[in-house]
Amino acid sequence: MSENSQTSAQSTNANNNSNPTSDTVSSSVPFTLKRWNLVGIWSWDVAHDVCAICRTALSESCLRCQAASNLQECIIVWGTCNHSFHNCCMSQWVKQRAQCPLCQTDWVINRIGQ
Amino acid sequence: MSTPSRLRLMRDFKQLQKDPPAGIAAVPSDDNILIWHAFILGPSDTPFEDGTFRLLLEFTESYPNKPPSVRFTSKMFHPNVYADGGICLDILQNRWSPTYDVSAILTSIQSLLDEPNVSSPANSEAATLYQTNRREYEKRVKMTVEQSWNAEPTLASNLRAS
Ligand SMILES: [Zn+2]
Ligand SMILES: [Zn+2]
Ligand SMILES: [Zn+2]
Repeated sequence: MSENSQTSAQSTNANNNSNPTSDTVSSSVPFTLKRWNLVGIWSWDVAHDVCAICRTALSESCLRCQAASNLQECIIVWGTCNHSFHNCCMSQWVKQRAQCPLCQTDWVINRIGQ
Repeated sequence: MSTPSRLRLMRDFKQLQKDPPAGIAAVPSDDNILIWHAFILGPSDTPFEDGTFRLLLEFTESYPNKPPSVRFTSKMFHPNVYADGGICLDILQNRWSPTYDVSAILTSIQSLLDEPNVSSPANSEAATLYQTNRREYEKRVKMTVEQSWNAEPTLASNLRAS
């Protein structure tokens, strides 16, 4: 989702740049760039907000911890592909197959933390 | 008792109610959220058009790390559906991902109807007719469409009206 919105924002941007420039068009370009930055940041957050395995916000405990009323820290794991999941959810899935469930590349842990 | 699998299935149900895919309906059993009954409406402009096909989904406490077992309980005539209703579909076997939910499973099965994979047939008669005698294939499919209405007359007319 984030990639789509960035791509479309970039292509809008590119179109503006390739337009035959009049003074009004070139003066509007800085506005386009600012908007592109804002949209990019917003959609990145949304795309990474929810654990795609348990469908729960990464800021909350995973369903396994919720079911067990485990109030200890439920931490987050990032792969080298940059996808993130609850560490609890991912450690269950890698027993089935050591691939990222979103991009199907081999799962390699980049970091674990909050 | 709530377990991670049952909590996830409750989320799947909420998602289905919030954003129901076209031509798909599914509900868990009253007494067991691991057993779901579902209906798929045959896609329009295909021989399956207007069929109301019934399915049974059986989940385990390993969901979503393992896929549910899914089978048609309506009579089907399709290259990738076994005589017992079992479905030969890669995402329900070796290409399963724990990010799929009930909605994604049923949407994939719905698109399989008109895009059979004849390289791994579960019903060799259907696969052969599909490749060599499309008119006879479509006739056999339309017979199952009519049988599906007889099994679910009210639901069939409701789904077609919507
Ligand atoms: Zn999770
Ligand atoms: Zn957890
Ligand atoms: Zn990934």
